[in-house]
Amino acid sequence: MPDMSVGTSYASSKMESDRAPDKFPVGMKVLLVDDDLTCLTVVKRMLLNCQYDVTTCSEATKALSLLRENKHAFDLIISDVHMPDMDGFRLLELVGLEMDLPVIMMSVDTRVNVVMKGVSHGACDFLSKPVRMEELQNIWQHVVRRKLLDNKENEHSSSMEEGDGCRQVNDDSEYASTVNDGIDGSWRYQKKKRDTKDDDDADLDNADPSSSKKPRVVWSVELHQQFVNAVNQLGIDKAVPKRILELMNVPGLTRENVASHLQKFRLYLKRLSGVAHHHTGLNNPLCGVSSNVKVGQLGRLDFQALAASGQIPPQTLAALQDELLDCPSHSLGMPAVNQPVIQQSSIQGTNCVTFERGIAFGHPLLKGQAISSFPVWSSNNIGAVGASSNLREMNSSHNNNMLMTMLKPRDPHTVPSEPNHAINVQPSCLVTPTKSSNTFQAQRNSIILNQDSILVPSQSSSNFQAGNTVLPVIQDSVAITSQSSASLKAGNNAFSVNHRSTMFPSQPLTGISLGNGPGILNQTSIVLPSQQLNSSEAGNNCILLNQNPMSVPSQLLSTFQMEKNIIPVNHKTSLSNDSSFVNYNRLPARPNNIPSIMEQTLDGGSDNLCAINSYSVPVSVSSEVLSNTGNVAGWQLHPPDVNIGHPNGSLGLGPNSCNIQATDALLGILPDRGQGKGLGFVGKGTCLPSRFAVDDIEYPNNDLANTSAYSGDDGYILNQDICGINGVVQSGPCATTGFK
Amino acid sequence: MECSSLHRQLAIIKKNLFDQGFLDEQFYQLEELQDDASPNFVEEVVTLFFRDSSRLLTNIEQALREKHPQDFHRLDVLMYQLKDSASSIGAAKVKNECTVFRELCDKENLEGCLRSFQKVKKEHAILRQKLENYFQLQRQVGPVEKATRSGN
Repeated sequence: MPDMSVGTSYASSKMESDRAPDKFPVGMKVLLVDDDLTCLTVVKRMLLNCQYDVTTCSEATKALSLLRENKHAFDLIISDVHMPDMDGFRLLELVGLEMDLPVIMMSVDTRVNVVMKGVSHGACDFLSKPVRMEELQNIWQHVVRRKLLDNKENEHSSSMEEGDGCRQVNDDSEYASTVNDGIDGSWRYQKKKRDTKDDDDADLDNADPSSSKKPRVVWSVELHQQFVNAVNQLGIDKAVPKRILELMNVPGLTRENVASHLQKFRLYLKRLSGVAHHHTGLNNPLCGVSSNVKVGQLGRLDFQALAASGQIPPQTLAALQDELLDCPSHSLGMPAVNQPVIQQSSIQGTNCVTFERGIAFGHPLLKGQAISSFPVWSSNNIGAVGASSNLREMNSSHNNNMLMTMLKPRDPHTVPSEPNHAINVQPSCLVTPTKSSNTFQAQRNSIILNQDSILVPSQSSSNFQAGNTVLPVIQDSVAITSQSSASLKAGNNAFSVNHRSTMFPSQPLTGISLGNGPGILNQTSIVLPSQQLNSSEAGNNCILLNQNPMSVPSQLLSTFQMEKNIIPVNHKTSLSNDSSFVNYNRLPARPNNIPSIMEQTLDGGSDNLCAINSYSVPVSVSSEVLSNTGNVAGWQLHPPDVNIGHPNGSLGLGPNSCNIQATDALLGILPDRGQGKGLGFVGKGTCLPSRFAVDDIEYPNNDLANTSAYSGDDGYILNQDICGINGVVQSGPCATTGFK
Repeated sequence: MECSSLHRQLAIIKKNLFDQGFLDEQFYQLEELQDDASPNFVEEVVTLFFRDSSRLLTNIEQALREKHPQDFHRLDVLMYQLKDSASSIGAAKVKNECTVFRELCDKENLEGCLRSFQKVKKEHAILRQKLENYFQLQRQVGPVEKATRSGN
């Protein structure tokens, strides 16, 4: 039996149950917390009558300190919701995080939202007051259940961690607790409020996992990346926890941690594949992301680097993360994936795309972003790619149609037909053509990365050519072409990176040539051509970066040539006419971002790309204007400190209507959506579409006041409603700013 | 037994309390908790309740009188506590009135809150009286079957 040396009641209960099963739940140690004395007295009595061992506490803070002193002193906690010194939910979270004990909530208020909150914060049960004796008689099941779960995990790992100093692997931050409704119960819930790791560390014993109930590992972005790397290396089918663990080589991580994570990951993949079938439409090979930070070798999934630097393709990661990292699911839609925060690092230039989401790796998507509408894709497939991504009310169909139209001419790649190479990356797949994937050629391929797929052509993926491919990168997909992804050519491709897709052409993405491809980056898409995005040629391309698209051509974005391209970046980008390239470069950090950076030339005549450096302000394009008006709308340039965003996440481009004049270098600042939760990247606030979105960004509410409407020939619709605007991206001239 | 009439009386009083909605199911639960180990459990809890709730009522009253603008949130919180307590002992009418108050609070209807509060106070006082009588009678009757769920 794996050592469950839980020297606590836990262990003892366990032992008891081993030895004298009939004894348990007698003597089960319960900590009862309630500020109301009457209730405390009554419930205590009831518990005593059930033959439990009861300790009462009328203050949550006191209870917490009791628990901290000795978390093994109790098997179960019962707590009221409303308490004066600390919110019951907060206590719940903390207990879940720090001690990982089952917590039952009680309240006289049993409205659905309250109960839901309990569930989402990890309560293993919710009792309505007045509590009856019968209800208390069975609460011991929660203890047993949890133990069993832990046991199972334990059994998986044959080798306990060689624990030298088990260190709790967790990154603070990253998990934000999502308020998601979809979130499952406690065992998956990871609360992000961990401010310090210390508590966690303390939990982990060195030398051996002290108890069967190990402290939960927080699957941070980095960690997850490492995990993903390892899985990729091994191959999803062959990935076994032990080997993964070895590859990951993370001290303090146990096999059972990996095992359970893997389990989730698999479920996630399964889930995605379900969805994927739906959409596959576009394949998006994601270009590698070269997050600046570690641009270094983005060799194979340089997620780590990314992760490390915080730049992780938010989307995919986010998505995956969400899944794996206790996220609530996709049901949350691409929830607020906090978008990659292009943080400050970006300031340093280039690809710094740090996704703040990252922080939430996987986490919670923004609240409220109901990305639940994932299925968006299902609707128009390819075309839809972008559109579908719209979470909100995107007029998917509307968009889709448009997209379809767009795509039509080229190739109606709808869906991944089995082209020669259809790489269907179903949900949560990691496709990593490793190493020199010189050319990722997908002739008529549909690479559909569905949901959290991560396509990582590692190393020198010299070109990602998708000759008539539709590469939809769907949902949280991350296409990372690491290293020299020389060119992402999508001639006639429709590549849509939808939803939180992150395209990371790492390193020198020399060019993103979208031949005639509508490239749609929808929703929080981030295209980060890191480093030198030498030229982004998009003849007749539409790159729609919708929603929070972030196009961060880092460094030298020397030219962004778009001939008739529409590259709407971000949601509401409206590109007029043909090429509009709107780069939302989110420059995280600094609000004062000076859009200077990217002001590159946009060749291509009038159509310029707009690069919006600013915090990713999603340029909101008035969605309603999805009409081709023909001229560029003009991105509104807001001074970097225009904050976009109304704290409620309204993405609106600044006060004025966005007009991006077709001039060069317009920086549009996308409104920061949502309340920035501190994102460098505007993450929160930034308009990163949902995915990257910031938590709580309510997208949809933002109505972009000004949205530029694009009307362009190629009218792509870019918008996901990040701000709830289904904007149509019209191509328009935009200046692109090089994102640096 | 000579106490039989007292018993009967007690039983009737109890029945009335339930029938008239002053008490609910939870009160029975309390009674079940009473046993030889804690023979006066119910009374103890009830006493505890009245003590705490009186204090709460005073606070609420004060809050209501106080400032403008009214801090409805605080009122709500206080009343929630009262509701919580009341439900623990099965004080049905009090609890219901608390609910009404809270709803009015939500709507920020000060007038309504004031009226509702008066009702809460009233119910509280009535229940207190009735239970005091009940316990007194019970003491007179002597240790008798308490946990009688005999519906009567």
